[in-house]
Parts: sequence; structure tokens; C-alpha cells
Amino acid sequence: MAARFRRLRRGGIQAHLETAEAAVLIQLCRELSGLLPEPGGEPAKDDPVVARLFPRAYLDPTEEEAESDWQRFAHPDLIEGRRQAVETLLRTLAGARQHRDALEVTLTSEEADAWLAVVNDARLALGTRLEVTEEMDPARFDPDDPATAPFTVYWWLGYLEEHLVDTLAPGTHG
Amino acid sequence: MPGTVAPQKVDQPDVDEVVVPARPWVVIVWNDPINLMSYVVFVFQKLFGYSKEKATKLMMDVHYKGKAVVSNGNREQAEADVSRLHAHGLWATMQQD
Repeated sequence: MAARFRRLRRGGIQAHLETAEAAVLIQLCRELSGLLPEPGGEPAKDDPVVARLFPRAYLDPTEEEAESDWQRFAHPDLIEGRRQAVETLLRTLAGARQHRDALEVTLTSEEADAWLAVVNDARLALGTRLEVTEEMDPARFDPDDPATAPFTVYWWLGYLEEHLVDTLAPGTHG
Repeated sequence: MPGTVAPQKVDQPDVDEVVVPARPWVVIVWNDPINLMSYVVFVFQKLFGYSKEKATKLMMDVHYKGKAVVSNGNREQAEADVSRLHAHGLWATMQQD
């Protein structure tokens, strides 16, 4: 796991991924796109993963009309924002420089924000699908068990995200 | 808040014209087992301009108490904040205080 992000003195954020890691990210982008409704469509309510990406605004059942109005207004932007973030990640990754078994790409702040949004959404989707809990301990999973593989991707996304947040967080500009 | 002012005689308003101030809406972020603590702090700082200390305190409330009120305002402002939090993957809802 050699993914790295760092803020460059001349501006921008450099992302460094192994080729295999980039392939996983591309696959996750495809899966995330598959969860998003077509333009003009509504998120599928019967899928817990989609429901986690598009939660209700109102808990109060007597606010059903306000909830419908809010969804009609907010969902198109939420869907479009997610779609654009995925497109930005795929586009920047496609333009990356190849260095042996790794890829390097310099991102603008906006592009890095899109990366963070996609990584977080992919992690939310996968974590919801896997029904992860806060008590889950990676050390107790058998790395040779095929059932562990999706959890390994989940923990890798956490590692990637932690590193990206560290790089982007205010007050850490070097 | 205004300081003390001298009492003044005013016309009694018609009861029908008394405007009950709308109760402000609060935006609540709920704990979930997935979002990273560092990410939640980052989002609170980015969206609301909170200091690292305030954002961290709110994140800790979410994590240990299960939820935290992160902003408040009229219905429109609360809906906009909920939308922005959802765009960042946080589980947020709104209700009247």
C-alpha cells in the first residue's frame, strides 16, 4: 500500500498510486456510477447503500411534504455533484504519468476535493454493503480467506482517505 | 442583544397581528460506523468555517454521544446545510428546536 498525497510548493497536490491501486479506484468509480440514478431519475429507495448516500433530511414523518419538496430540489444537485466527482477522478487518473509500477498525477485543490468525495462515497457504499461496525478489527481477519478481500479494499480506502484528509486539512500546508 | 431602554408607551397591537417567532431549525449530524473522525472534522471546518477545536468538539459529540447540533437557522438555511452535509457523505437531518 504505497499510495501517497503531498502538497507541492508550487501549488497543487501530487497523488502517487501503484498501478494496481489505480485499477481498484477505477473499478470503485464504475461501481459508484452504477449506484447513481440516470439524470432526472430518483435514487433507488430499496437499496440500503443508495439510501446511505441519499439520506432523508427530515426524520419527522409529519414533514413528508417538506421532505418531498427538499428531495425534488436537492437530489438533482447531489446526484450531479457525485457524477462530476467520479468523472474528475477518472479524467485526472487517465492523464497520470506512469513511473514503473506507479502512477503520478498533480491535482488542483478542486480535483483533490473530487478525489476525496469519491473515496469517501466509495467507502460509505462498501462499508454499508459489508455492514461494518466500529468494533471491527482488521487484525482478526484472515488475509488468506477470499471473503476478506472486500474488507481489505475497505481498509485501504480508509488509509487513502486518512492520508488525503491530512494533506488537504487547513493548517497542514507545509 | 440590546441593552436596557426606557419604557415607552406603545399602542397595544391587535392580537391577530402578533407574530409568533418561528422556532429555529437545528441541523443534526448522527454517528455512523464508517465516516473517519478526521474526515468529519475536516468537513465541519470546510462547510461552516469552524475552528479545528470547535469542529473536533462537535465530531467527538457525534462519536461519543451519537449526535451533535452543527448549525441552526430558518428552514431554508437548515435544508441547505443538510444538502451540503449529504454531499459530503455525512448523515444529517433537521428538526425544529
